[in-house]
Amino acid sequence: MAQLFTPGADAIYRLVLLTGVACLAGVPIVAAGIVRSDYVTGVGIAPQQPVPFSHKHHSGELGIDCRYCHTTVEKEATAGLPPTHTCMTCHSQVWSGSDMLKPVRDSYASGEPLQWRRLNKLPSYVYYNHSVHVTKGIGCSTCHGEVTAMQMTYRANAFEMGFCLDCHRNPEKYVRTPDQVWNMTWSPPPNQATLGPQLVAQNHIRGGQRLMECGICHR
Amino acid sequence: MSRDPDIAQIRARLSGADGPTFWRSLEAVADTPAFRAYVESEFPAAARLAGAPDRRGFLRLMAASFALSGLTACGADSGRDYELPYVNQPERIVPGASLSYASSALFDGFANGILVTTRNGRPIKVEGNPDHPFSRGGTDILAQASVLGLYDPFRSQAVQHLGRPSSWAAFRGQMLARLAGWREGRGRGLALLSAPATSPALAAMVARLRELYPEMGWYEAAGATRESLHAGAAQAYGRPVETLPDFAGARAVVSLDGDFLDLGPGQVGLSRAWIEARRAGHAAGHLPALHAVAPTPTLTSAKADYGLSLSAGGIEALARDLLSLTDGGSGGASGARAGNWLRRAAAALDANRGASIVTTGLAASPELHALVHRLNGALGNTGSTLRHIAPLSPGGAGTLADLAEAMERGAVETLIVLGSNPVYEAPGGLDFARRMERVPLKIHAGLYYDETGAHADWHLPLAHPLESWGDARSLDGTVGLIQPTIAPLHEGRTVHELLSFLLEGEMRDGLGLLKAHLRRPDEDEAAFEARFAEALRLGFLPDSASPPETVALTGAAPAPAPAPAGGIEVVFRPDPTVWDGTHADLSWLQELPKPLTKVVWENVVLISPALAEREGIATGDVVAVAAGEARIEGAAWILPGQAEETVTLTLGYGRNVPDHLSRGLGYDANRLRPAATPWRLQGTKLAKTGARRMPATTQDLGTMQGHDVVRVQPEGAGPVGDDEADKPPSFYGPSSEDRGAKAAWGMVIDLDACTGCNACVTACQSENNIPVVGRDEVARGRWMGWIRIDRYYAGSLDEPATHFQPVPCMHCEQAPCEVGCPVEATLHDSEGLNLQVYNRCVGTRTCQSYCPYKVRRFNYLDYTEDQPAILQQRNNPEVTVRARGVMEKCTYCIQRIAAARIDSAKDAHAAIPDGAVETACQNACPTRAIVFGNIADPESRVAQARAEGRHYALLAELNTRPRTTYLAGLAPADGQKAPASSGQSPGKEG
Repeated sequence: MAQLFTPGADAIYRLVLLTGVACLAGVPIVAAGIVRSDYVTGVGIAPQQPVPFSHKHHSGELGIDCRYCHTTVEKEATAGLPPTHTCMTCHSQVWSGSDMLKPVRDSYASGEPLQWRRLNKLPSYVYYNHSVHVTKGIGCSTCHGEVTAMQMTYRANAFEMGFCLDCHRNPEKYVRTPDQVWNMTWSPPPNQATLGPQLVAQNHIRGGQRLMECGICHR
Repeated sequence: MSRDPDIAQIRARLSGADGPTFWRSLEAVADTPAFRAYVESEFPAAARLAGAPDRRGFLRLMAASFALSGLTACGADSGRDYELPYVNQPERIVPGASLSYASSALFDGFANGILVTTRNGRPIKVEGNPDHPFSRGGTDILAQASVLGLYDPFRSQAVQHLGRPSSWAAFRGQMLARLAGWREGRGRGLALLSAPATSPALAAMVARLRELYPEMGWYEAAGATRESLHAGAAQAYGRPVETLPDFAGARAVVSLDGDFLDLGPGQVGLSRAWIEARRAGHAAGHLPALHAVAPTPTLTSAKADYGLSLSAGGIEALARDLLSLTDGGSGGASGARAGNWLRRAAAALDANRGASIVTTGLAASPELHALVHRLNGALGNTGSTLRHIAPLSPGGAGTLADLAEAMERGAVETLIVLGSNPVYEAPGGLDFARRMERVPLKIHAGLYYDETGAHADWHLPLAHPLESWGDARSLDGTVGLIQPTIAPLHEGRTVHELLSFLLEGEMRDGLGLLKAHLRRPDEDEAAFEARFAEALRLGFLPDSASPPETVALTGAAPAPAPAPAGGIEVVFRPDPTVWDGTHADLSWLQELPKPLTKVVWENVVLISPALAEREGIATGDVVAVAAGEARIEGAAWILPGQAEETVTLTLGYGRNVPDHLSRGLGYDANRLRPAATPWRLQGTKLAKTGARRMPATTQDLGTMQGHDVVRVQPEGAGPVGDDEADKPPSFYGPSSEDRGAKAAWGMVIDLDACTGCNACVTACQSENNIPVVGRDEVARGRWMGWIRIDRYYAGSLDEPATHFQPVPCMHCEQAPCEVGCPVEATLHDSEGLNLQVYNRCVGTRTCQSYCPYKVRRFNYLDYTEDQPAILQQRNNPEVTVRARGVMEKCTYCIQRIAAARIDSAKDAHAAIPDGAVETACQNACPTRAIVFGNIADPESRVAQARAEGRHYALLAELNTRPRTTYLAGLAPADGQKAPASSGQSPGKEG
């Protein structure tokens, strides 16, 4: 009887087997990639908002301070969203007839709040407090990115646990002097390696082990 | 498990030398193989999940679990997708921050001072108001549960006319025409029936109503009526008065069926005062003793140093004996059984004339009240340790019996029921529902569309106290203000607003009515507004307690009642959790274990061990209690310490409102209640029906196996606490304390101060979003409370001493649970908290089985997924709502610690001052039995408590070094709670 398989068949057979194993091994890698992709986390994607509000224009170009709208960021857990009234402090005078601002005027007239699409959210078992981070010298842009450059606002970071822990593990890499907290274009100064530990000590930041404990964020 | 322990056998075991000193239940004493199996099975809850699968079934299940395990990650992201800022930001309301308002919690019309915590404009938690002169910072279970009542989906939400939805406008339209008629007829045929009320504003309105409608009838009704209390005072002094004890000056207290520690309007203030007096006395070397006699065990009799169980009829004879003995007579009417107790009580009273208190309770007969007044008069206590004040409700109210009689005569044409539920609450003999049918126009205003609402032509929804303006007085007369913490959720109006309609034909708003009442005629507006704002900030009008009245005894002591005509004596009591049924729809209260029986979700027929033995009744047998035509059927419960021939029925159950939570639970004791003597019934028959129905109870849940679980410190004996120097070596690594953390959180619970009132349990439920699981789940051992109150008995079956022991998580420094967890979902932080990380927990329940204190609870089912939207609004946003399949337990209120920690961190890590973190249980405790704080700070109250000689750790022999520790209870050297051989710690637990 003639041979059914050519001498090369073994090689093909092994190749097929290997490819199969490689594919199987690749599934988790690809899945992990998808889960972490911007498509899933929403990073960098600006959703449609009721009013095309531009942080770039208001904060970057006009120089309005973050705290003009996000009033409770230094005192409370949440930074706070501006009530319609805050928009109208200017827009009753400026661009008072603009079509783009019609939803704002309608909201002010009718008392119906504006419905903003939520950008940043944490799972319900995570408790974050803005005030303590800001007071200790963690700037807005560390988490929220360079908002002053965002024409339409998007999520800058995925806020996975690793993101939080990176800073909780090594706060000296991110801590700023108080005047730099609101600086949206901050990048670590050349002397961060010496300044950081100084600030950590000065601000009584209990880094390392204590900030890594589960009960700091989960309750 | 079998529930048929043999009582004779139990008696033998208890009196035997090797019997348990402390025991929890008859089953535990009997120590049947079934009970052992229950305790040793670790997971009585899981054991019944299914029969053990065979090998193939097991593999199949495992394969399916692995295959599907990844799916749990696919759950929908349940966060909101939108953010809605305000249009105009209200002042002071900061999203996410909490804001407290001082207000008053109502208990049968009486006030207790509270602070209502609101978040995002929603009230979510009730705390005690420490500045309130009467309640001084604690709360009771009803105040804690009132916040659930606000969001209760069963609450009445709209006006109903003849059972159909209607509106306030329609009601007003129909009534306007009648108002003129009533005015013309001077109010003839008009009858108002009110729930008990102490509001001065309401009293003023009632007075004006009576001027306007002179022939109007004004009646007051409550399930837990205070009629006999007032009638007794009238017998003794010729007029009704309220009696207030001043425990600070008392060296001995004799309670004749008293209830000052039991659930009631005065519980918070009185139990605080009593425990303070006890602490002060202990420090000064003379512990004031409590002598208590009761027909059925109560929290008051459970705390007695010298206790006695005696039928309600027998107690009256006992009171006569006491009166005779303290007068130099010989006594002797109450028989030999009471002899020892009587001699001791009489001697204590005689030795402390003018510095003792004789007290009785709500459910005592008027005769007993009168006798107690005479006793106090004879002892010189009246005016010294006892203060009398005028009754606080609007005077001249008729009783429910008067109203029933008027309705029978046809003298009532319009009946307006204000907040009361007479169709359910009225004693069966009054036949109220049938008589009410004779009234042409029946209007019911209530929080619920209840039995009375269903019988009425109009039903009007009342506003909840947390959404109303109003006022009410505490037991001492202090006027508390009630302010709304949220705009009315439904269409409810207050009773004050309704009365303003009857007065003026126009419904005025509650704030205007309150201001109009409070403003003095000569006060200018600015001064009044300032005074009003200050009173609102405080929550009460300063110095508004009632002035003491001088009273003088009149007439002679009432003649002894004729001997009861055989048969079994039934005593009626308000339920220790749902009271008279007013709160029966609140699931927190339904699932709160009753302090003595630990039964949930129903009421039981309490019988004595002796009676059970004689009649062959076992716990869980359905028995019928009959008097004449009326009879009720309920599950029997053998209660140690119950008077032999007395059966106790509790109110509040047997409700029958369609669709409501409380429907069909327990029996309705009101059907048996006689109108003349609403708290006692003689000559009833008790019979087994043959059916069995085991009530759900938590009494054996978390049975610990160890030594010296409860300790008692007899006066004058050596300290029974642990020797601090004696720390055995351990295999565990160094504790966080040794690593030099800044704070080391710890808790000390004073067992002498714990009265078993359950306030901590409800407060914890409210603060920590603890789910309600339902009767069947509790019966499977799945009760979810993070703090349980263990009730232990010591001594004989018929006259046991009772001990309460709250058990939250011990936060062991060397925690066995942490060793067991395969995923490190439970671990320690550097401040000594034993953390539970829900998002890591995979539900192996190993920690639960490793926990020697049995304080961990597992979410077997998704108890919160189907929570109605309105109830979700009550959840505390600072605490995770747990999902199915995770373990949970007491966190020492980590959210409160976190708030204090963040505040201190923002303030350059200033030390957190002692008292800045109060756990929910600590805040709610009326007697301040729980102290929490930093044990590393030697100045803190918790560190000082740990230094006391009676300080000990639970199951210390396990070397877990718990952070939650206890102070042993106190007892006079010869008291019933003192261990037989004083100086030695009590023996093992059963």
